[in-house]
Amino acid sequence: MFRNMNSVSSNTVSFVAGVMQEEPLESRRQQTLEWQNSHRFRPHPVPSSSREAAEEPDEMDKLKAKLMSAWNNVKYGWTVKTKTSFNKTSPIFVLGHAYLLNSEDEVERFRLDFVSRIWLTYRREFPQLEGSTLTTDCGWGCMLRSGQMLLAQGLLLHLMPPDWTWPDAHQLTDVDFEIFRPRSPVRAAGVPIPSFGAPRASTTPEKSCSSSQKKKTESSRDRQAEPTHQKLVTLFGDQPPAPFGVHQLVDIGKGSGKKAGDWYGPSVVAHILRKAVAKTSVGQSLAVYVAQDCTVYKEDVLQLCDPSLSQRVADPSSQAWKSVIILVPVRLGGEALNPSYIECVKNILSLDCCIGIIGGKPKHSLYFIGFQDEQLLYLDPHYCQPVVDFTQANFSLESFHCSSPKKMPFSRMDPSCTIGFYARTKEDFESMCSVVGMVLSSSKEKYPIFTFVDGRGQDYGLVALSSNHFGPPPHLLSAEQRGRGNIRQGSEEFVFL
Amino acid sequence: MPPLEKIPPQSKPFKQRKSFATRKQEVAGIKSKFPNKIPVIIERYDKERFLPPLDKTKFLVPHELTMTQFVTIIRNRMALLPSQAFYLLINSSGLPSMSLTMAQVYKDHQDEDGFLYMTYASQEMFGR
Repeated sequence: MFRNMNSVSSNTVSFVAGVMQEEPLESRRQQTLEWQNSHRFRPHPVPSSSREAAEEPDEMDKLKAKLMSAWNNVKYGWTVKTKTSFNKTSPIFVLGHAYLLNSEDEVERFRLDFVSRIWLTYRREFPQLEGSTLTTDCGWGCMLRSGQMLLAQGLLLHLMPPDWTWPDAHQLTDVDFEIFRPRSPVRAAGVPIPSFGAPRASTTPEKSCSSSQKKKTESSRDRQAEPTHQKLVTLFGDQPPAPFGVHQLVDIGKGSGKKAGDWYGPSVVAHILRKAVAKTSVGQSLAVYVAQDCTVYKEDVLQLCDPSLSQRVADPSSQAWKSVIILVPVRLGGEALNPSYIECVKNILSLDCCIGIIGGKPKHSLYFIGFQDEQLLYLDPHYCQPVVDFTQANFSLESFHCSSPKKMPFSRMDPSCTIGFYARTKEDFESMCSVVGMVLSSSKEKYPIFTFVDGRGQDYGLVALSSNHFGPPPHLLSAEQRGRGNIRQGSEEFVFL
Repeated sequence: MPPLEKIPPQSKPFKQRKSFATRKQEVAGIKSKFPNKIPVIIERYDKERFLPPLDKTKFLVPHELTMTQFVTIIRNRMALLPSQAFYLLINSSGLPSMSLTMAQVYKDHQDEDGFLYMTYASQEMFGR
């Protein structure tokens, strides 16, 4: 069963080479749809004969994995095309940006924004996860993928130019915009929108409009940021050393009693992300704070972000204020989402500082990045793709961006989720506290989803177990130990607090 | 993922074990003896698979205790890690604000029988 990394990456090389020949950008864009259709069922490249012998015992597993991922992709609609409709009368929000889709310009801006988000999905044929025989996360890792996407969005804000968009963003597919319907019945029949407006690539002439100069500057700036974009994506590679890859995240999750193949929850993933960031060099300029009991203790955040408060000397590079990602795990109801929180969730997603919500439909994780009317806009991790080999020069970023926006009704949202925010500076953090605080009090429900509180957690009686980060995990006590206190007689008496 | 262990099915919820009259009487009795305490019923969400059952369901809580302190006490009783998800829902749907005192929560949400009902739950897992 042993499979070394070399054989895996050479498989990938042939796959990548087979699909993505180096083509001029323009023709590639036109072929996007064709490519997307074909690569879904594309047979895996036949291994060379020299490798075949060595890998024979793996063939069954590989076949199984392939069937599973094909079935998965059918089941979650990645192969059966369903179109998403967008109306032109109410705005669609994408992480704080609003688009009223009643003109081609606005649709174009929406396209750039949506497609520029990092999309991380199930992958197959990656190196075995330590302590298991798994070489795919298909069928169990969706919450980890949603978490990765949330972190990736935080990193985009942290590392890329403000309002950066991907110059090579592909055209949208499987969408239906009202504004194109009356004028062109052909489009309404299910053909993806043709290239309207000017793609932002520097290789194509800009559409002439008043803001074209600004667009040009932005476009060259965004083009220059491409190496950072690439580097950012490789942090999420499906290889053991990648700091935010599935291998690392699963490994960190072991500390919370999780293992490869388990299902994860939005709160567990929040803590995994916190630990993952702290372990990397990114952690020198970025901290992750996870709220406990729906409360963000401002002083604790300041402590985390201002190294001068906690360290005495240390190296000067860590003396600067750290930017912060704030993650708030919540439960917005018992069995189902409490409808009185919907308005508040919408308001949160309309904020600039929001980096999205990881949650989903029951048992099915999704990364929520916006909404239109009564529907959430999301990125879906359930599309199983082959692993990408980042050691190849000019590897394609195409499979890390999604071209088909999808929506689902708020009423189907699972109440368990984690909400994310990003603040670059101390001032940003202060203004986040006040603006988010305002939005939270807009809830129809009497109490806000979560709160910002001055001071530190320990000032509020969070001492006992909270300081015990390294103790034995009590949740792993055996059933016997745990059941000891649970004697029925006497349970009818009052406990005095 | 299966739960860490099979937890035996809970007995019926408190409200179903006792009639309205009995519950009301009980509250009246306890309030006359301890006028400075609030009677609270805490039960596990019936579909909860990760948090352990609590050994007691009935609590007498001081008025001025905040929700934060109350949650910390319950967490410690279950020996939970701070990173473990734990939520107290009022009447199975709303999250009470952590800065509120028990008296405030009681004022707004007490049941007709005089108890304050809370359900605890962790988070759901996702994987399909």
